Amino acid sequence: MARSVWKGPFVDGYLLNKAEASRSSGRNEIIKIWTRRSTILPQFVGLTFGVYNGHKFLPVQVTENMVGHKFGEFSPTRTFTGHSADKKAKRG
Amino acid sequence: MGVIGRPHGVRGLVHVHSYTADPADLPAYGPFFDERGRRFTLRWQGEGVARLSELVDGKPVPVNDRGAAERLVNTRLYVDRDRLPPPEEEEFYLADLVGLDAVGPDGTALGRVEAVHDYGAGASLEIGRLIVPFTRACVPVVDIAAGRITVVPPEEVVVPAPAEASAEAVR
Repeated sequence: MARSVWKGPFVDGYLLNKAEASRSSGRNEIIKIWTRRSTILPQFVGLTFGVYNGHKFLPVQVTENMVGHKFGEFSPTRTFTGHSADKKAKRG
Repeated sequence: MGVIGRPHGVRGLVHVHSYTADPADLPAYGPFFDERGRRFTLRWQGEGVARLSELVDGKPVPVNDRGAAERLVNTRLYVDRDRLPPPEEEEFYLADLVGLDAVGPDGTALGRVEAVHDYGAGASLEIGRLIVPFTRACVPVVDIAAGRITVVPPEEVVVPAPAEASAEAVR
């Protein structure tokens, strides 16, 4: 069952503080978080989070398309690196 | 680029597992070679099923019976790096990035790029125990010819605990 709309999105409190601190500093920073259950809010767009997957902090660069998803969706706990072949990575 | 799987039917068709971003692109990279130096071309005949031909003296000899197809199971298919088209600006082949030496802005060695992750939130490079976002701010220089990248590890955001913050305010 989906979460009730009247409750609003769930976000851990400390995450908001860290995001605010990062946004105000404007430096090349990564926000290490453990809260995989928190929803990605519009004010996080443009920030980079290190989302813990139980093993390491995987960088998550938040874009507009990710708003409404949970942080944990972008930091898998079981990883298959796959085969490279002709796959490319774009520098952000 | 791929690996030959189990035979399909009795006419020499085989399953082929493509490692390319789009499996439909695989035949365009041919001819392929394997560990023993044999060369093959490939044509898709259905989803994941392909017709292979071995190049003998430059002439394609189709694999057209199940026995021959069974002997090719688990054969890995390779191409030379220069057969891949040049990437666009700010794009890099994962095969090129993995193995590059990472140095800090002051030239100190940080390790070697072990893996490139991309789970839908931007690419990141794994360098030993360090994982950095693959951005211009964190990886300002990628010099594939020299086999080296320059990495500026991002700082970590630290927010003072409420108790510390209040103590700071009292001072």
